[in-house]
Amino acid sequence: MDFKLTEEQELVRQNMREFTEKYVDPIAAEIDENSRYPAEVIEKLAEGGWLGMPFPQEYGGAGTDYLTYIIAVEEMSRSCASTGFTMSLHIGLVSGAIYNFGNEDQKKKFLVPMAKGQYMGAFAFTEPGAGTDVSAATSTAVLDGDEYVINGTKTFTSNGPVADIYVAFAWTDKSKGRKGMSAFIVPKGTPGLRVGEHFKKMGLRSSQTSEMIFKDCRVPKENLLGEEGQGLQIAMDSFDHGRIGIAAQAVGITQAALDESISYSKQRVQFGKPIARQQAIQWMIADMGTDLSAARFLTYHAAWLKDQGKPFSKEASMAKLFAAEMAAKHTSKAVQIHGGYGFCKGFKVERLMRDAKFTEIGEGTSEAQRMVIAGNLLR
Amino acid sequence: MPRIVVCFKWVIDEAYIRTGASQELDLENVDYKLSDYDRNAIEEAVRLKEEYGGSLVGITVGVPEATKGIKDALSRGPEKAYFINDASFDNLEPSQTATILADVVSSQIEYDLIICGEGSSDLYAQQVGPRLAEKLGIPCISYVQKLGIENGEIIAERKMEEGVEVVAAPMPALVTVVPDINSPRVPGLKDTLMASKKPVISITKDQLSQTYEPCLQTAGILAASMERNCVKFGGELEGIAGFVESLLKEGVIS
Repeated sequence: MDFKLTEEQELVRQNMREFTEKYVDPIAAEIDENSRYPAEVIEKLAEGGWLGMPFPQEYGGAGTDYLTYIIAVEEMSRSCASTGFTMSLHIGLVSGAIYNFGNEDQKKKFLVPMAKGQYMGAFAFTEPGAGTDVSAATSTAVLDGDEYVINGTKTFTSNGPVADIYVAFAWTDKSKGRKGMSAFIVPKGTPGLRVGEHFKKMGLRSSQTSEMIFKDCRVPKENLLGEEGQGLQIAMDSFDHGRIGIAAQAVGITQAALDESISYSKQRVQFGKPIARQQAIQWMIADMGTDLSAARFLTYHAAWLKDQGKPFSKEASMAKLFAAEMAAKHTSKAVQIHGGYGFCKGFKVERLMRDAKFTEIGEGTSEAQRMVIAGNLLR
Repeated sequence: MPRIVVCFKWVIDEAYIRTGASQELDLENVDYKLSDYDRNAIEEAVRLKEEYGGSLVGITVGVPEATKGIKDALSRGPEKAYFINDASFDNLEPSQTATILADVVSSQIEYDLIICGEGSSDLYAQQVGPRLAEKLGIPCISYVQKLGIENGEIIAERKMEEGVEVVAAPMPALVTVVPDINSPRVPGLKDTLMASKKPVISITKDQLSQTYEPCLQTAGILAASMERNCVKFGGELEGIAGFVESLLKEGVIS
């Protein structure tokens, strides 16, 4: 076993930290408060080549391994979980779907500008009545001549209001069950596609989330991603990838909670000494550090498996499940350590606690992860 | 077109230093970083190269394990790096560092301009730059906050305590820069990945023309401690008089 990161991986972490210190830390609280999409940061990420990290250079990427990309998401999330999520969503979920299932023409046309950060991606999958239960989806796509006509409403579409490329899912033949759904690449501005209601979220507030409404939305046949009927497989595979990103996001959030807790507890004096010298606080911090290490190892292991070309679906779910639940638990503890101050706006832990909750829900709830894990273990 | 050399140092990141019970520094679990002002030096070198063309190489003295530092520096712009390394180079004093740098620069590198940070993040002795210039027999301009080249001369603005001094020097010359000179850009991902592919010229101790004995001995390094005490004064006449007296006693006012 080798637990050592390469010098490149360490430098990438360091450079991402430098990036966040310069461009993200100063605005993280403001974009959360105002629910503002940090277009200027996304532009800087694009300039730095961060938005196509794991894709080969011929597709506009940087050609790093998955672990390096995961480290960058973690480090970004430590500063701003919303922006970390935007990276993970754009790279791991959406661009990844096109990289893994797109044909050469689709990769040239869509993946290259996405990897360069000129186009941002969104994943139009969840529906008002179909969350974890995918079979309840109602969106349809009907082939009419050389075009598919998509109808349906998608909800909780992250990046919905700001994306240029949507990977959208609809039934092409519901009677075929799991093999009846297909995936489509739908560019912004396609007639019949419009952004619906914007959601006001408790956390991850600078990430933009909306409904996406497809009404007789016609996309050319060549925008079918993969084969007809392969949609669900594409979605599940993309979620497997995406989950490592959400796990990394949760690890970044927990790291930030630990950083804040250590720093605050050393300064805050009660009963004549810093609260860091009270056993009650020490135990919280010890647990936080321990769970953080475990979550990080699970996450890096999932990414490493992916890099080795080995199956990683179960491990990605385990990483996501554990890292998310630890983020939720320990950001709450971090607020506890901060006491009344932690309950008020102005201290980072308050934002961390709200952002952490997302990681237990987005890209598959903790319950959905347990289904995947149990399914794998009981096979 | 200027041939620029930039000096850099790989130092302990002070954020990781812990203080022990008797004020000793715990350096067991530290991480390293590029010295802060050296980032400004590299950035300025890159900026000059963008403006005037020419070439840019980096040079450092350190222990053989400092390879990450070389990559870090290379990711910020230099085309190649000279890495003078030996296991014994972990605690050099400034005069040794300057002598070693001068040895390699004078024998192996053609240059018009050498840029150093004003001081290093760890010791901040501000010695290496001026000593290196002295050993090379070239002009040294310190405290530089603005730098340009006109008619083959270096034009530099020096940040002085009271005002700004503008000076010129013929090339080759050496300048040491203060952080006001620029805001170093963050290396992009591709810069970081490319850094591993740039040439590194490794120079070992036995390739140097002489050995360098230290003229300083470090007896110990302890954390500085600041004694704070809290004295309360009332708002009445007596309290104010006591406050003034206390300030006089502490030498805050006279």
